[in-house]
Amino acid sequence: MVNVGDMLVGYATNEDVRKRGASGGLVTAVLAAALEKGLVENVVVMKHINEFEAVPIITDDVDEVLASTGSLHSVPVNLAKYAMGRKVAMPAKPCDTQAVIEQAKRGMIDLDNTYVVGLNCGGSMHPVTTKKMLVEMYDIDPEDVVGEDIEKGKLIFKTKNGEEKAIAIDELEEAGFGRRESCRYCTLKIPVNADLACGNWGVIGDKAGSATFCQVMNDKGVKLLDNAIEAGRIEVEPASDKAIAIRAKVNDVMVNLGNTLEKEIFPEIPDEERMQYYMEPMADCIDCGACKEVCPVCACGEDSKCTMFHSLVDNYKMSMYHMVRLLHLSDSCIACGQCSDVCPSDIPITLLQSSFAIPSQRKREYTPGMNVDDVPPFFEVILK
Amino acid sequence: MAEEGWEPKIVAFCCNWCSYGGADTAGMGRFQQPASTRVIKVMCSGRIDPLHVFNAFLEGADAVLVTGCHIGDCHYVNGNEKTEVRYEFLEEMLQQLGLEPDRLHLNWISASEGERFANFITDVTAKVKELGPSPLKPAGVK
Amino acid sequence: MIGNVYQTVCPGCNMGCGLYIREDEEGALAVDFMKSSPANLGKLCRFGMKLAHHYSKATSMVDGKEASVEDAVKAASDKLKGADVTMLGVGNTTNEESLAFSKVADALGTVVNTGMGVYSELPTECHPTVGVGITLDEIESANRIALFVDPYIQYPLLVRRILAAKKIGASVVSVGWKDLHLADENRYIDPDLYESELGLDSESVIIADVHPNTDPGWVKRMLNLALKTQAKILFMKPFVNATGVDLLCKGTGQKGISEIMDGINEGSIKTLVTLNSDPIELMPDSDAAAATLTKLDNLIVISSRDGPVNKMADIVIATEPLYAKAGSFMNVEGLLLNNSGESTTGIDSMSTLSQNLGGEAMDYQNLHNNVLESIVQKYTKPKYKELTCEVLDIGPVEEKGNLIYLYNPFMWFDQSDDNDFVMVNMNMVNKLGLSKGGMIALTSDAGTVNMRYRVEDMPDGLILTAKKLPVATEWTTIVSTEAV
Repeated sequence: MVNVGDMLVGYATNEDVRKRGASGGLVTAVLAAALEKGLVENVVVMKHINEFEAVPIITDDVDEVLASTGSLHSVPVNLAKYAMGRKVAMPAKPCDTQAVIEQAKRGMIDLDNTYVVGLNCGGSMHPVTTKKMLVEMYDIDPEDVVGEDIEKGKLIFKTKNGEEKAIAIDELEEAGFGRRESCRYCTLKIPVNADLACGNWGVIGDKAGSATFCQVMNDKGVKLLDNAIEAGRIEVEPASDKAIAIRAKVNDVMVNLGNTLEKEIFPEIPDEERMQYYMEPMADCIDCGACKEVCPVCACGEDSKCTMFHSLVDNYKMSMYHMVRLLHLSDSCIACGQCSDVCPSDIPITLLQSSFAIPSQRKREYTPGMNVDDVPPFFEVILK
Repeated sequence: MAEEGWEPKIVAFCCNWCSYGGADTAGMGRFQQPASTRVIKVMCSGRIDPLHVFNAFLEGADAVLVTGCHIGDCHYVNGNEKTEVRYEFLEEMLQQLGLEPDRLHLNWISASEGERFANFITDVTAKVKELGPSPLKPAGVK
Repeated sequence: MIGNVYQTVCPGCNMGCGLYIREDEEGALAVDFMKSSPANLGKLCRFGMKLAHHYSKATSMVDGKEASVEDAVKAASDKLKGADVTMLGVGNTTNEESLAFSKVADALGTVVNTGMGVYSELPTECHPTVGVGITLDEIESANRIALFVDPYIQYPLLVRRILAAKKIGASVVSVGWKDLHLADENRYIDPDLYESELGLDSESVIIADVHPNTDPGWVKRMLNLALKTQAKILFMKPFVNATGVDLLCKGTGQKGISEIMDGINEGSIKTLVTLNSDPIELMPDSDAAAATLTKLDNLIVISSRDGPVNKMADIVIATEPLYAKAGSFMNVEGLLLNNSGESTTGIDSMSTLSQNLGGEAMDYQNLHNNVLESIVQKYTKPKYKELTCEVLDIGPVEEKGNLIYLYNPFMWFDQSDDNDFVMVNMNMVNKLGLSKGGMIALTSDAGTVNMRYRVEDMPDGLILTAKKLPVATEWTTIVSTEAV
């Protein structure tokens, strides 16, 4: 029996899952056990199509869960919206977890019945940019890639003929490749807001690459692990102090990097230039509504103030849709980057939204997506 | 700066019980004020949604005034306290957007404060005249 | 997996935007993003975002009554045997279905018309240039881009390509109907001045478009401009598989849709078979098109979607929705894109039809191999065919009206959208005394309509619309205007 707060190192007992897994297959095994033993009815997993593409599916088939093992750094999807209205277990990057909790605050997800297996994340990449990067910087044919890894600040690609090539992420990002912009200034690398926080940081020695570090965050996390142990799907042991320290150290480095890059990515804008800075990119908006559809924190649905009071026939200098979203998301934007990913006019929406959200959230000492009991500043007009 | 003779268009949201009364009193008392303001009466300043303010600016207002009863005097007890909280977010957002701070004001004015209302309008009109037409003004609105 | 996920391509235009269509347990559809898709990186325009509304299910019918698809195929075979048939397939479906349709045409001793009448007016040497365009990546490396389309309204996924080119120093000149935000210059000049005034050279890219209602003289003018300035040219097109269908059905001797409609009106065409092609949606004047179709003896519709033509047909052979089909498409760059679906109702129906008419049987795999050999191997990488033809004689210049159709995906399917307004400039507002929030009345020979209007920076006297209007008789119509 595990306890809340436990720091463990474990792996999937199924040799195949353990080998194919990103590092030990623990997450996959936990999800499979949750489904098998009826802890949940469905599991959200990524169905792999190739190294650079996967699509989220909702499954009740344990084999499909086992087949989904392995991490894909070039598939930047946010899984929160797929969990809405269902009793699921799901893997979740820190931003996915934040979104799940925000949706729970809005009554769209029942957190008691949603099991979130958090995944450490150093950042994800855009598939098409990554393919270009492989050709231009690694001199590798994207079709030959069989796996990738991020270790000690380097992005490593493995090819089918056994070759491994590593380049420092700094170098890649300087050349315009590497991680998505929002990932660069993100400082939530370990999903402490999930039920379990899993990853390969802190897995050292002979277990490196074949075991997962797992921190039990709450009672649901206890349930998930106990369930998987009972099902015989995983084996765990306490992590050593050294492992725990190394994990904390890696996290510190990544968080510091995030803070540094935030200063580089957000420009200082003189007051007289602000309005142009926002109006100019938004003038290319074609009103597709994708940024709202994909936003994992938005819960209004079709009848929302941003769309109901906006019409294509208006020829305003800035659309009502954008003005409302800038205000309405300033307390809850988690800078997950999905909006920028899907904008057909390449408007850097995440950057613009975060320019409003970061100061607004910091002023109120509020971080969205960490605890379902933290009420978003806009929800309650808190009276004196 | 605007061309000669340009007059700003100012939208003032006034609550039925206090600030609208104040505007009325200003008129009855014949206090001088520029004819720049379009008054929109709401039952309570708490009804004012930031969307209304956005809409006013996008339709061509050069300044928007949010007015209501003094704190503690709200006809609906605490409607204006809600206004205060909302206004804080609205002001922050418009400032971040780069709209000149003098274009948005919050003022509590009672029904008897006619002179105060008139002075407020005169003050704001002068400031906005200095600033010129709003950067959000669409084509076709002077 | 609960429900289904299909990898498919948006049918709005020939950009080839990849996406996922999700079907939940109850059959409700939702759109999802396929970020590794090369043409669009997963991004979708307004039409793509609304695809769940687009795929309306078709039902097989015989003489107005619901029937099984087998009975519909049998009834169609009976009607078509020995008849003089005209066939229309504009490219709103997969390569394999289009090829199957051609084999049915073979059995009937006729050809498939792609509706692009413009090809029959161009020398064959020009066809490859109009048929397959430069790659979208090549737009991003152009020094100067001349836009003869409005990317925001007509082909939105072009916007980011042009913006990317601008980021590395390209200049953009728009020669359209209204000012574009991303253009450095907006020129409204006489077409005879294009060559001398637009500043194009071999590092430039011209983006124009061609569609069933394009004036052939216009296409010739664009080709001449490319020829004289050495600029590369990309012709954007509507329909998910316009490029594939053009390569499969070959350019010359094809009838345009207007030509077919004229033939029906004259009485020389009595039997029409369509494949995912609705003349009522496609023709600029829907009412006139519907009236024309009533003159047919036999109207047979093979379609994956419900549409106005289905309701008028003698026989409807309903096939599976586009996203569920086993099949491939070729986009404007000549890139082959595959559906992940496996359904073959459309192909199987056409195979039975072909056999009933004395032609060959077909199956998906055979057709797919044929597609790979015939059009893909010939264009294994998108190949830009440089112009080898001579300067073309443009011919008589088409009379233009003042109401202009800005063709876009919603317009081609006559699908309702929030584009329920026309665009005019401030001078027209002032001249007519239009009131703010009011309407403008447009009157032509075909009637009157009152429309809301949006003010744009554009030349005097023009009225632009992204929505089909009942007062329009062509893609450009003369209307009189007044305030309502």
